[in-house]
Amino acid sequence: MIKIQKEDFNIDNEIEVIKSLHSSIGAVTSFIGYVRDMNNNKKVNSIKLEVYKKMAFEELTKIIVKANEKWTLIDCLIIHRHGYLEVNDKIVLVTCFSKHRNDSFESCNYIMNYLKKDAPFWKKEYYNNESEWL
Amino acid sequence: MHIKYFAWIKDITLCDKENLDTNKLKTTNDLKIYLINKYPDLKKHIDNDTFRFAINQEYIFTIKQIYKNDEIAMFPPVSGG
Repeated sequence: MIKIQKEDFNIDNEIEVIKSLHSSIGAVTSFIGYVRDMNNNKKVNSIKLEVYKKMAFEELTKIIVKANEKWTLIDCLIIHRHGYLEVNDKIVLVTCFSKHRNDSFESCNYIMNYLKKDAPFWKKEYYNNESEWL
Repeated sequence: MHIKYFAWIKDITLCDKENLDTNKLKTTNDLKIYLINKYPDLKKHIDNDTFRFAINQEYIFTIKQIYKNDEIAMFPPVSGG
């Protein structure tokens, strides 16, 4: 499942919705990305995340298809936020559900790496007196 | 043809999308030349291959034909996650 949204999300609820559908799930690995307070020695106040939504859905779908070709997965969940976010806000959740731990561990890392490289999102950081696109 | 700009490219183009006359633009190379003429500040970035291009939400890596109803996106390296 892929969600691209402005709204915050509850990690436990999101995982439980999928877990409750599959009694065969024995392993769940999640990566959660947050807005940090410092980056490149600058104090970050907030960020803006821009997305090319139509393409992001396409790219994230491809990522999940590729992960399913490499590992035995029962389900995958990617939630990526966009819009204005404050320090400590969640940016992204990637959760992989499988029978065994290696499939969920390795696929979660793979999906995050692919997402960082190819998913069309862009961050703009806001500091005290300036802002900068990353 | 519809072109979309993202992130800091919009600071140069001063718009996030526009419709272009495709009669004279047959390939992505023609498009790059057109954009450099229209927005000279894009030249160094296009020459350095800083940008990524997508046609109809698919990344392209070589020169491609472009058509009237294509949606073309030009954007800097991604930074999500």
